[in-house]
Amino acid sequence: MWFLLPVLGLIIGTYLGSNITFQLPPIYIKYMSIAVLASLDSVFGGIKAILEDTFDGTILLSGFFTNALLAALLAYLGDRLGVDLYYAAVFAFGIRIFQNLAAIRHHSLTKYRQRKARIRGERNG
Amino acid sequence: MRKFILPLTIVCIISSFFLAFQLKIQTKNTNFDAVSQKNANLINVIQNLETEIENQENQIETMRNQLNEIQNQNNKGKLQDLQQEIIHAKIEAGLTAVNGKGIIITLDDNKEGLNTAPNDDPNKYIIHYEHILNLVNELKIGGAEAISVNGQRLVTTSEIRCVGNLILINMTRIAPPFEIQAIGSPKLMAESISLGQLDLLKAAHYPVTLEEKEDLIIPAYKGELQFKHTIPQ
Repeated sequence: MWFLLPVLGLIIGTYLGSNITFQLPPIYIKYMSIAVLASLDSVFGGIKAILEDTFDGTILLSGFFTNALLAALLAYLGDRLGVDLYYAAVFAFGIRIFQNLAAIRHHSLTKYRQRKARIRGERNG
Repeated sequence: MRKFILPLTIVCIISSFFLAFQLKIQTKNTNFDAVSQKNANLINVIQNLETEIENQENQIETMRNQLNEIQNQNNKGKLQDLQQEIIHAKIEAGLTAVNGKGIIITLDDNKEGLNTAPNDDPNKYIIHYEHILNLVNELKIGGAEAISVNGQRLVTTSEIRCVGNLILINMTRIAPPFEIQAIGSPKLMAESISLGQLDLLKAAHYPVTLEEKEDLIIPAYKGELQFKHTIPQ
């Protein structure tokens, strides 16, 4: 039953996000997209940490907020300076998402193979 | 419950919220235009103000009717003369609806001309405020006693002004097709405008019509004439 809570969270968040009537000023859409990337990165990072048994809720949440803030700050600074520092954040988050996804894949595959091997071993034994 | 459920749930809520919100924005405004959004807000403001103006105009009208009733109730002796004077003054000021014989001029943008020459300057094919202003001036030369444009009675304070692609009369936006009604001698007024702006418009192939009417009703000025700085001598 424990895994249902994050799923419920996903549903609640989607519902809230699609039903909100708040009009975002168009200049902030850029910041919004960075926030999306930061949060996606955190989700994958969290799943990876669970699989690696190194999960720490405080680290996950603090990482999420500092990452999002730093990214927004970079984008803002980039806007001020006329340099698209925004892409640096997108780039970093994109790479991290891929890395986390790769790690998740590795872990799940190894676990799956281990279990298969164990079952086979039990059968043989 | 395992230790990672709560933080993961929070992160899930936030990330799916952001995702859904961002998706909604992107699908709604694929070609996002900052100017158009600003305009939408402005249009809203204008529409609200216009309904407010309409409400207040209606209020003025009802108040004026009440005032008229009260004034008509006790008309004895000396008061009667004063009443007559007030009624005359009101007619002259354009604060009452009037009827009589006159003419109706209708004019519209030259859409056909613009369609046949789509690359030409559209300014050559639309009715400008100057056209209406000239027509009104010529009607006045022709002895018009009461004039209205699209139902807006022209009084001493009325303006005919260009506001982008619309015309402002009595602070009310007016769009084509235009209908100018004027009470007065139909023959004189028709002559006056036929030698001027009306013929120019016809020559430029604008769809213009001139119609003489035996009985024409011209509405009252809906606003209020305010004289804050004028002192009678």
